[in-house]
Amino acid sequence: MAHDRPRIDIPDWERELERVGFARRLLRARKWYGADWWFVAISSLMVVGFLLLAAFPQVFAKYDPLDLVGPRLLAPGERPNQEVLILREDSEFESIADFEPDVRTRVAVVIDTPSSEAARDAADVATEERAAAGLEGRIRLEILRIETLDEALDSLLNGEAVAVVASSSAFGEVDAGYPDLVIAGPVSTLEQDATSFPLGTNQVGQDVLSRLIWGARIAILIGFSAAILSFVIGIPLGLIAGFAGGKLDRILTLIMDSIYAFPGLILAIAITAVLGPSILNIIAAIGVLYIPTYYRVVRGQTLSAKQELYVEAARSLGARPRAILGRYIFPNVIPSVAVIFSVNVADAILTGAGLSFLGLGLPLDIPDWGIDLARGQEFIRSAWWLITFPGLAVMLVVLAFTMMGEGLVEIFNPKLRRK
Amino acid sequence: MHPFVLMFMIFGLPAVIALAWVFTRGGDALRRYIVTRVALTLPMVVILVSVVFVVLRVMPGDVVSSTLGPKATDIARETIMEELGLDRPLIVQYGTFLRDVFTLDLGNSFVGARRPIIDELGERLPATLELIIPAALFALITGIYLGTRAAVRRKRPSDYGLRMYSVIVYSMPIFWLGLLLRLVFSVWLDWTPIAGRIDVVTNTTLERTTNLLVVDSILTANWSALGSALHHMVLPALTLGLVLSGVFLRLTRINVIETLQEDYVVAARARGIRKRAVTYSYALKNAMIPVVTVIGLQVAILLAGAVLTETVFNWPGMGRYLVQRISSRDFQAVQSTVAVFALFVALISLAVDVVYSVLDPRVKY
Repeated sequence: MAHDRPRIDIPDWERELERVGFARRLLRARKWYGADWWFVAISSLMVVGFLLLAAFPQVFAKYDPLDLVGPRLLAPGERPNQEVLILREDSEFESIADFEPDVRTRVAVVIDTPSSEAARDAADVATEERAAAGLEGRIRLEILRIETLDEALDSLLNGEAVAVVASSSAFGEVDAGYPDLVIAGPVSTLEQDATSFPLGTNQVGQDVLSRLIWGARIAILIGFSAAILSFVIGIPLGLIAGFAGGKLDRILTLIMDSIYAFPGLILAIAITAVLGPSILNIIAAIGVLYIPTYYRVVRGQTLSAKQELYVEAARSLGARPRAILGRYIFPNVIPSVAVIFSVNVADAILTGAGLSFLGLGLPLDIPDWGIDLARGQEFIRSAWWLITFPGLAVMLVVLAFTMMGEGLVEIFNPKLRRK
Repeated sequence: MHPFVLMFMIFGLPAVIALAWVFTRGGDALRRYIVTRVALTLPMVVILVSVVFVVLRVMPGDVVSSTLGPKATDIARETIMEELGLDRPLIVQYGTFLRDVFTLDLGNSFVGARRPIIDELGERLPATLELIIPAALFALITGIYLGTRAAVRRKRPSDYGLRMYSVIVYSMPIFWLGLLLRLVFSVWLDWTPIAGRIDVVTNTTLERTTNLLVVDSILTANWSALGSALHHMVLPALTLGLVLSGVFLRLTRINVIETLQEDYVVAARARGIRKRAVTYSYALKNAMIPVVTVIGLQVAILLAGAVLTETVFNWPGMGRYLVQRISSRDFQAVQSTVAVFALFVALISLAVDVVYSVLDPRVKY
């Protein structure tokens, strides 16, 4: 890139760099680029991390993003409210599976709570487990529906019922008044404890963390595909316009400048509004927006490279325009394109999130950060975590790609390199 | 009086006077530049409007079935096609569309009382202006100040800190920043109103002429309305301004660093002029020239950001109108709004380029 200025004073460290291999050069560069090296290093690690998340979400996510796995609006770290089996301290049972088969065991529940359903489900599961283990008989329950929790607990104490099934939080409130009763454990065998939902659950009971992890896939997919689309169209256009010049160049530049000046998101909104929601449409809409970015840079570089002596030499030797473009001019363009690509992916992810936040572009059954944010904003007063984490995820991905670009600019830009 | 006429009197008239002033006072080169630049605005607007046309009419995707839903009868389809002029050849549609945009005769909206779209936009444009002008001012002032500081302290911790700040605010989805600010200041601290432009009760006392609430309340000396309008404006403008300030910080920093390495700056330092004076009156002035050019391009970010900010804060501007009309499938309104945005962008970039030509004597066509 610094081909236009004479290289008289090559510092020692640059000469030294020429002698070592690529990997070692990267490590040594740390000394000379200082914090910029760290920018690039840290952000590259983050990028790799997000790529891994996007490639193997099923490995990292505990739950399926669409499954209703927990209670609604559970705050991060909060203990899920679950149905527990309450027994007398001297009880001979420890769980529903220990109940005597083929005898209707009396279990008290509070009316209008999900406890009776949970108890029946647990009994069915226990029966199936017995069958699988080759044991005969069914676990059967006789559900006593009682008005209040206190009365239910009293019925347990006076022997009317063998066990009570109630929600853990309800029992937690009256726990101290019943020293003889203990929680034997959760009714359901599904494992749910405080660490089950580290980022809480959303308004329908999906795990926020699992949705975030699966959402990385959409963000990365949109970011890369859109950037590659604009890259594939923008670079050849820029090369041709810069190389050919004349009318073609003027018209193309005018069109590209107009698109470049227009608010990208608004154009993308219009495109997706007409095309309808789908991932392909969103990629196409965003891809079109960033064609001018590549076009402008590549055209500028082509214009200046065209004047160089080595291009002149190649032309006078009879090289075809195609060969000149491909072999002599294109390599000059690559470093600046690498920087743009990185920033471009970041922009595309941001625009994609904006579109889906507005409810455009993506079908609603796809786990996506923008959609999660849009839905979460209704619960801004009751559930802060719904709007905090998806936005944080968008920011971190965008930050990683932008920081990589930022660091690369400092490192590649010869004007800024030496004091 | 039509809101757009009013808008023109507030913003357009001073611009035209300024343009005339520059034109009569400036030299031949400047005059030629301005004529060329004004002449180039027309093709730019035509291209932008054509892009909108291509996107909405030529690209695959059926406006009629998105308007009516998939189960529409043929008669309903034909009626609507006729009403929108979709049954005519594409080239005729294109001509009509261009004419409509340039005469600002945008047809009637499909929703509600079916009022002329231009009136609906005219009511919302002031709201958008009242959001983006304070935001842009905030971004310019903080961005240029912090950018210069970062450049002066290059490669020191405060430089890295400021660069991190600019990268972080740039990476923040603007709607998320808005939601976070709302969560902290409106929900948790209860310092700012949660949404809207003005208090509902105060609103009834305010007599509207320009629909710019700040201007209206000052004109009628309604101070409680002014207070309420400013109070409502703080968070949305801050949201939009913070994101943009990062962009201006980066631009200023890079340009000041480059100018600080120029010979005349070094020479000024060598003559014993103080570093502060050199930075602010030698380097910053010249560094501002490239920054001003890019301000024109930042208008795009500003308007795109306004769409999202308006949606988050229920700010009744043009961006929210656009999003609402998309969900009510009123494509006539959608295409008109996008076209008006295009006009807006072209005019602002014209204004910026003229200012630039006055600032930088080297500019010529």
